[in-house]
Amino acid sequence: MRDLMNESYAERGYAERGYARRSQKSTKAEKSTRTGGVILAAVSLLSSFLVIWGLYYATGTGERHKVALAAAGCEPNLLSVNVGCTTVWMLEKQWTQLTTSDLQQLNADVADYTVSSRRNLAQAESALTAEMTTAKAFDVSLARFPFPPAVAPAARALMQAIDARVNLTTEQARSSSLAQLRSFNGRVRASSAAIQTDLKLVRKALYTRPTVDQEP
Amino acid sequence: MSTTRDYDRGRYAREQDLYPAEPGPADYESDVYPDAGIYRDDWGDEGKPVADHQPRRRWSKIVDEWMEGRIKFGGTGVKRKTAALLLLGAWGFLPLFFMLPSLFTFNTNTIGGSVDDTLGTGAMVNLFMCLLITPAVTLTGQRWFVPLRRWYGIMFACCGIGDALGAAFFDDFAGSPFAKLVEHTFTLIGFLMVLLAIPLFITGNNWAQRKLGRYWKTLQRLTYVIWGLLFFHLATLEGFGFQRGSNGSGFAGDGDAIFHQRLYEYCACSLFLLTIRIPPVKRWITARQEEGRTRLVFIAVMPIFALFVFGFIFIVNELIFKGTHSFVENPSSE
Repeated sequence: MRDLMNESYAERGYAERGYARRSQKSTKAEKSTRTGGVILAAVSLLSSFLVIWGLYYATGTGERHKVALAAAGCEPNLLSVNVGCTTVWMLEKQWTQLTTSDLQQLNADVADYTVSSRRNLAQAESALTAEMTTAKAFDVSLARFPFPPAVAPAARALMQAIDARVNLTTEQARSSSLAQLRSFNGRVRASSAAIQTDLKLVRKALYTRPTVDQEP
Repeated sequence: MSTTRDYDRGRYAREQDLYPAEPGPADYESDVYPDAGIYRDDWGDEGKPVADHQPRRRWSKIVDEWMEGRIKFGGTGVKRKTAALLLLGAWGFLPLFFMLPSLFTFNTNTIGGSVDDTLGTGAMVNLFMCLLITPAVTLTGQRWFVPLRRWYGIMFACCGIGDALGAAFFDDFAGSPFAKLVEHTFTLIGFLMVLLAIPLFITGNNWAQRKLGRYWKTLQRLTYVIWGLLFFHLATLEGFGFQRGSNGSGFAGDGDAIFHQRLYEYCACSLFLLTIRIPPVKRWITARQEEGRTRLVFIAVMPIFALFVFGFIFIVNELIFKGTHSFVENPSSE
């Protein structure tokens, strides 16, 4: 009987202690969830504000688009999906991308030729062939480049100068001796100078904003 | 017979360890109500809660079970879950798909000109998709889409590594490939992110998971470091979110310059992903769901999610715009 009583007291004691522990934990959990609720509410409010502000900002898109077109020096004849125009800045970047690698390769081919033209006919001819291939590839890239109307004449002149140079190099590559090969050097230099001048003109024209009367 | 201790020592892969980059509902519920034992297996018949008291759990279980069903497809059947995972997961491959033509033709001009935009943005999209899975589990209670976390993580690593390789070998910066990766602050941070992504990529499989045991989860938490580093990568790349002339991604003529700032897009998306991960918030959400007040949870979370969508659509817009240019091998110069 005594044991039974002890057991029942003990059980009650455990139950009470357990209850206290449980209620302590639940209070802690409640506090913790309350903090979570406050954080969520605050972030939610901030987000609501930002979304509403974003939507309000989006209503002014049309106006800002016009201002941006004017400010960025756009070429409205050249369409770009996202922007609605191609800016001078974009053209510059495209031009740099196009010319950098091809001109570097051309210069390397010319340097190859200069070295080999003094002693080895076969090597010199292969350098000239490589030069022709690079020049033709550059010509094709230029033909695909979206030149604005204001730049198109200068670009055409550049392509003609490159064609002339390719023809001259083809002729030069047919030489049967080193002396004959070198005899072309003067004409090649003049042709190179013409290309350089045209390149400068195209670059200058590309980097200049179009005037009002040039707009289509 | 395996014991709990065996699991803790990492000898056996538990079901929840199959996708455990972060704790799922079963992990955190026990923290909220340690004595409730809702998800314990040792229920006596007496104290077991009636299923009707768990509206969210019941609904999410129904969806999970429905996903296990099969769709009849000609003579054969495909699991709904598999079909849904394929449909959702395919988008993760999109950035790499955009770059495929230039890779096949080895068009260095396109690779050098747009790999950073296409694969870099693609990596960001995949990282956010990967990080989105845990909040989605927290909010819906469903688990059928959890395998996507690993898939998006792998795609993130592939895009990141591809971006780094492209930048190292084909970018306009001066110097050796290694120098190109470390000579600017933003490239250095990007390089660090890729270095951290490599072990995650290598261990993103069941074999590595079994071998690493409980350390696997810790290792996978490096994802959060990458997430943090992405902030600094974008901040240093975009002039800390301030547009200076044409310097910064906000230089867009469509009149939405602010929406194109990648740092802002990152912050808008991260706010949602971060808030739902804060333990007290997670506990609040779970507590309300257990009370059956799911509507309150959705109302509270909706504005944050709307902000996430707001930021995310502009990242996806960037990816599709730059990606299509890369795909036709005419890299965008914007």
